[in-house]
Amino acid sequence: MSTPAPSEPAAASALPRLLGTPRRRGLLVGGAILLGLVFLFGGDSWLTILDYTLVAGVGALSLNVLSGYTGQISLGITFFMGIGAYTTTLLGGDRPMHSGDPVGLALPFVIWLPASGLVAALAGALVGPVALRLKGFYLGIVTLALVFIGQFLFKRLTFVTGGDAGRTAPSPSIGSWSFANPDPIFGIQLTSNQVYFLLLVLILGLSSLFVGNVMRSRAGRAFQAVRDNEVGAAIMGVNLLEAKVGAFILSSFLAGIAGSLWVAYPAFSHPVPQIWDLVLAIQFVAAIIVGGVASIWGSILGAAFVFGLPSALDQFSLVPQSAGGEGIATGDLNALIYGVMIIVFLLFEPAGIIGLIRRVQALGRRLDDRRKGGEFATAPRPNPATPDADDGAHVAPELDT
Amino acid sequence: MADFITYSFIGLAIGCIYALIALGFAIIYKASEVINFAQGELLLVGAYVASYAMYTWRLAFPLALLVAIAVTVAIGLLFERFALRRMIGRPVFSIVMITIGLDVLLRTGVTVRLGATQFLNAATPFGSVSQVRLGGVVFNDIDITIIAATLVCCAALFLFFNRTRYGLAMRATALDQEAALAVGIDVRTVYAMAWGLAGAVAAIGGVLLAARQGSGGFDVGLGQSALLAFPAIILGGLDSIPGAVVGGVLIGLTYGYASGYELRVSWLGAGFETVAPYLVMLVVLLVRPYGLFGSRKVERV
Amino acid sequence: MSQQPPPPPRGAAPAGQSLLQVEGLTVRFAGVTALADVSFSVARGELFAVIGPNGAGKTSLFNVISRVYQPVAGRVTFDGRDLLRLRTHQVAPAGIARTFQNLGQFPHTSVLDYLLLGRHARMRSGILLGGLFVGPTRAEETRNRAYCLHLLEVLGLSRYRGELLGNLPYGLQKRVDVARALALEPRLLLLDEPVAGMNLEETNDMASIILDIKEQLGVTQVLVEHVMAMVMGIADRVLVLDFGRVISQGEPAAVQANPDVIRAYLGEEFSSSTSGAQAGADLNG
Repeated sequence: MSTPAPSEPAAASALPRLLGTPRRRGLLVGGAILLGLVFLFGGDSWLTILDYTLVAGVGALSLNVLSGYTGQISLGITFFMGIGAYTTTLLGGDRPMHSGDPVGLALPFVIWLPASGLVAALAGALVGPVALRLKGFYLGIVTLALVFIGQFLFKRLTFVTGGDAGRTAPSPSIGSWSFANPDPIFGIQLTSNQVYFLLLVLILGLSSLFVGNVMRSRAGRAFQAVRDNEVGAAIMGVNLLEAKVGAFILSSFLAGIAGSLWVAYPAFSHPVPQIWDLVLAIQFVAAIIVGGVASIWGSILGAAFVFGLPSALDQFSLVPQSAGGEGIATGDLNALIYGVMIIVFLLFEPAGIIGLIRRVQALGRRLDDRRKGGEFATAPRPNPATPDADDGAHVAPELDT
Repeated sequence: MADFITYSFIGLAIGCIYALIALGFAIIYKASEVINFAQGELLLVGAYVASYAMYTWRLAFPLALLVAIAVTVAIGLLFERFALRRMIGRPVFSIVMITIGLDVLLRTGVTVRLGATQFLNAATPFGSVSQVRLGGVVFNDIDITIIAATLVCCAALFLFFNRTRYGLAMRATALDQEAALAVGIDVRTVYAMAWGLAGAVAAIGGVLLAARQGSGGFDVGLGQSALLAFPAIILGGLDSIPGAVVGGVLIGLTYGYASGYELRVSWLGAGFETVAPYLVMLVVLLVRPYGLFGSRKVERV
Repeated sequence: MSQQPPPPPRGAAPAGQSLLQVEGLTVRFAGVTALADVSFSVARGELFAVIGPNGAGKTSLFNVISRVYQPVAGRVTFDGRDLLRLRTHQVAPAGIARTFQNLGQFPHTSVLDYLLLGRHARMRSGILLGGLFVGPTRAEETRNRAYCLHLLEVLGLSRYRGELLGNLPYGLQKRVDVARALALEPRLLLLDEPVAGMNLEETNDMASIILDIKEQLGVTQVLVEHVMAMVMGIADRVLVLDFGRVISQGEPAAVQANPDVIRAYLGEEFSSSTSGAQAGADLNG
């Protein structure tokens, strides 16, 4: 054989895993404790930022499914978010009191939230086939067109959207228990921001789990193959139409959910059509680039850096105001931050923050190896991308029919 | 009928601006297969600098225009040298995004200087807009200027690409990069030149587009309205320079008719002119995925 | 390959019958004829080689069978089925696997995931079940994963299962690509220049893998190559293409003796030792 075999592959691969796992676990526990502290003592100002980040996290995850994992350039996430948002206002909004009020069916939360995802997914299923014919830049521009067409429609369909004036969105509630004005649970009185935070953690967690599972199974492998080489994927039996439409459906579903949660959040409950614009769509693209393309943690970290960080800086006046009191406006500061981050990350760390973290972990492992002596320092490490490579190894080989 | 001619003329003038913007895209794409999503904001910067030079520094219009061109050319060259050149060989998605990063920075830069809702007087060679009447048809002098300026720019570019050494080098590189390298063309110079040219065209387009906004002046939304050049380049095909001009005029006419007639078709309503070009683009793309004049690429296994 | 090989694919008929039949195949792009009236047939269990100088149309032939290129004339029949009626992604489910000439297309994929991708056509679960990762999907993933791990072990690649393809040396990537193609349990395996760019030792390794696939798995193989020595040593029959035309076809020894072949092709390879050297140099200059 032409390649030299590592002397002790089993021992060499076992060691870094044992060292690496507690570190990662420590990071997770630390993060959870931090979140818990903010949850308990952060007050409304911190929780608002956190809630905003979590909603944006669902959106970034949605975009990562389509662009990061499947390689379909999309500048049109706000189109699908808008569809989700207006499904929410239509299904969950108040019934019209006067003629001219936008239509609302006042259906419960458990109906309008999933329905928002499904309607957006339907729109995704209709747009998806376009991606079969149009690639790269062309698809990017078509999705950009969707944003403008969407905004036009949202402004025109006043009976659903309220037109330029916007309309009130429903707040989530389960039975008579409302997230906007929560009754005590087992005698514990939580604020609206706190219960909304719990809801968002649950939804973002479930979405991440779902996407993670897709990406490690058959459909997700097909998505990633389509991203890397379409013709090669098709030769291996991947139906390109099925994969692209599938990615559009999954991504749009999540975008619809994100749009719904965005408007249903008590602080944003009066959406106007203007918010579903290209600038917001680009912010989501910035989030996945800064956080990490084709990575679930990357989506969440990206949302924190692009959506959460600027609001935190703004809210706590961490930016010095200029003498004339004219300081940079929030939106501009935000844009400045993510504009610079896009360019810096693309130039210097294309794998995003998650790539940086992986690099630091690898460095830590190498230092550990060196400390343990030269014995393992030269042995190849298993790749962190597939730490569970030996799961299923004990199942008897069996042919799939 | 008079209305139709007026709308056609307005459409033609707007189309000429889109053609100029689209030329900026096509020049860069042809040389380096990159779509510059920041082209719209380069227009905004051009218009802003020209206006600033004319009304704050009190420069004459031609000088103000030159200053604007110098600034956008410099931005183009710097961005190419320090950002894009490091991105060669990276996925399309990353390249799109880095130009979007520039787009965000340029827009924010102008917004911070100008304020998000502030309107600025556009730099124009005229004191005030005057009109020419022929029969029942009205022509604005700015529209006539736009059409003339576009013709001059197109002619200059045509001569550049066909008669000068650098122009021929750019065309050779677009046709076959390896062959161009083999005959001693410095491809890096070609890329830089493409960005410089695109910057210059953007400044001219920006000044014209701002001047066309009328007496109210222009604001930071100018960059986004320049995005209507996207349908133009897509219609024309990304890599075709004549296609960019034809696409621009087609989109301008669509815009002109849509804004002229939309009030008569009540269910369409105001603002339809901003989406009509995109709708036309979608229809064309579904029939011809590589535009009207674009060439199809064969993917390799 | 000392370990137990995977069981032979289903429906493998006795050797001798034709599995793949190509008749009068012509492919043209923008006036250039890549293949002109090419006909041949491959018997079940056979190791059939297609050789020819660069640009002779070898890869075009594979691209027609993979349904990437559309021929202007001709028929391709696989096991009695008209292959030209299939779409690209339907070729793998029909039982045809192909290795790639250009590697590095899937650099972010781990070796094990790449093999699972190779089994894509043999698996069923979609997005919904995949995302929930319950019941049948979980069982399917586990079963196929075990199959791929077994295949890696048989091919001596187990220790690389977690490595990303982009991190592997070239020769190893080529072997992993063959493993990925085998993961489909194909009835026909198309090998696109499996030893291009390899050193002698790697070439010998690959040759023995190809022979093992033939002898132990009984998989029919079509091999496209321009490394002569290796092809002549292992192929049952050889077809020689030059400028898209078939100039010779038959047993390796017979083909090697054909003066047309020497002139068109061998001249280039053995320019210092063969009588056809001058003619070959003229043709290729």
